[in-house]
Amino acid sequence: MTKIVTKHFDEPKLHELETYRRLGGYQGLAKALTMDRAAVVAEVEKSNLRGLGGAGFPTAAKWKTLPGEDKIPGPRYVVVNADESEPGCFKDRVLMARAPHQLIEGLLIAAHAIGAKETFLFVRGEYQNQYDILEQALAEADAAGYTKHASIKLMRGAGAYISGLDTALLETMEGKKAWPRQPPPFPTVAGLMGKPTVVNNVETLSMLPFIVREGGEAFAKIGSAKNGGTVVFSISGHVEKPGVYEVPMGTALRDVLALAGGVRGGKKLKCVIPGGTSMPPLLEKDLDLKLDFDAIRAAGTFLGAGGMIVLDETVDTVAVAHNIQRFLTHESCGQCTPCREGSYWNEEILERMLDEKGTAEDLANLTRVGENITGKVICALGDTVGVVTRAYMSKFPDDFKKRVPSNG
Amino acid sequence: MSVFTPEQEKTLVGWTTRYPYSNMGLVEALRSVQEWKRCVTPEAASRVADIFQLPFNRVWSVATFFPTFTTKPTGRHRVGLCHGLSCWMAGSDKMEKCLEETFGTKPFETTSDGKFSWEPMECLGACEQGPALLVNERLQGQATNDKIAALKELK
Ligand SMILES: Cc1cc2nc3c(=O)[nH]c(=O)nc-3n(C[C@H](O)[C@H](O)[C@H](O)COP(=O)(O)O)c2cc1C
Ligand code: SF4
Ligand code: FES
Repeated sequence: MTKIVTKHFDEPKLHELETYRRLGGYQGLAKALTMDRAAVVAEVEKSNLRGLGGAGFPTAAKWKTLPGEDKIPGPRYVVVNADESEPGCFKDRVLMARAPHQLIEGLLIAAHAIGAKETFLFVRGEYQNQYDILEQALAEADAAGYTKHASIKLMRGAGAYISGLDTALLETMEGKKAWPRQPPPFPTVAGLMGKPTVVNNVETLSMLPFIVREGGEAFAKIGSAKNGGTVVFSISGHVEKPGVYEVPMGTALRDVLALAGGVRGGKKLKCVIPGGTSMPPLLEKDLDLKLDFDAIRAAGTFLGAGGMIVLDETVDTVAVAHNIQRFLTHESCGQCTPCREGSYWNEEILERMLDEKGTAEDLANLTRVGENITGKVICALGDTVGVVTRAYMSKFPDDFKKRVPSNG
Repeated sequence: MSVFTPEQEKTLVGWTTRYPYSNMGLVEALRSVQEWKRCVTPEAASRVADIFQLPFNRVWSVATFFPTFTTKPTGRHRVGLCHGLSCWMAGSDKMEKCLEETFGTKPFETTSDGKFSWEPMECLGACEQGPALLVNERLQGQATNDKIAALKELK
């Protein structure tokens, strides 16, 4: 299967500049610097690259919402989102540790495309090992003169999942608590310190060297309609071989699972979380689904950041919903009442059900709480609180009914 | 007595000039404080506020928002065990018991010699190695009884 960003992962020293360069590294940047900015954006537009940090927004379209220097003069920034904290997601960790120069090259290409002279790479604090690798790679890139036209500065987070949401990331970087902003304005208009800012994910940026080197069309051809190139799934849970697997956009779920060796111990599949625990699960009947942003969405869930978790038949989905809700309650920033309070109620109800103390009203209450959150809050974390438990309830009604007394 | 050593003061001032705006260094500065003192006290936050020329409340709101910052000292070795979905499926409950027995402390408590504290953490981005173990912000792969026993040997 075609690989792009993990193609050279069997090279033990890929993280070193010399090896990366020997394999064609920094040729994309060299080429980009000979093109004018609009031509780079046009190439990315042709590539159908979609944001791989969760939302799947077309990358070139996002860049194009940045106002020109004639409208908003002064600095503009690129921020790399390496906060990766969605349960099930670990591909950015691997991409940074194994191919830090690929990310740096992609970042420098993006900086050129939008005319940024300063860029920032925000890494979650718990990735200190990976941060050290990035720091080392950055020193090499600086010494080799690659950062002459745009600087790169590293910054670490402080343990909050919500910092990964773009506007909360900007607040964190500005030295504030990570309360998401209510757009508009979007970060491309008023981002870091109020300046036009592009926030992109590690994997998204890591795709850019290939796109510039080989051309947008070559990238688009690898993927499916409107979903260019490849996607890196991080797969964990009940599979034989957990790990990262890069596949072309549009690869069937069945084939992705086969790469990870299928369900562990010959057990039957209960469900698959496609993109991290905020995304409702897919079922056995969805195995032929061709995985890209649009097809997964049509199936009622999201590709997210490709954090795939496989659950076998032994799993109790009430306990799963409780685990996911406990996480969301802990990570809710507390800014919106429905998210803050609803999270707490949901968790309490699910906990009671697990403790065999469920009441006859609990399922109705879970539904009611959920309905009163989604769409009434500032950010997607709250929207998730509203839908994720209900998704498990509707897909596994028996698991849930078992936990409450029947009304006769 | 001043809250920070002259050396530490220099590091904190360094964070005010590292990025294009001084405020952008605040979270990193608080990370330094947490590392030195294993917590961020109001006194420390107050001095950081002076250095950054920010109101105390602004700094304190950040110090109390992020899980990395604590108001009481963590152990010199701060151990985290992930209880996210993949790690829970891989048996994080059992490893929590192992940590509790090995250190003789409940989550978030520090051993009497100040050496260790442990806490359940949210997804650490190492779900393929669950239950994931973290020591002082460095991933240690899958938590096992042996690996946890070996932590006792840390200086
Ligand atoms: C609660 C929440 C957490 C998020 N965490 C991350 C993250 O850790 N990394 C990331 O790249 N995107 C994350 N996102 C998505 C970002 O808001 C943003 O869409 C993304 O960084 C944009 O980059 P892309 O267009 O390259 O995908 C998160 C979104 C939400 C709602
Ligand atoms: S929805 Fe929840 S996490 Fe998002 S801003 Fe509101 S309270 Fe914060
Ligand atoms: S769920 Fe434990 S590391 Fe991701």
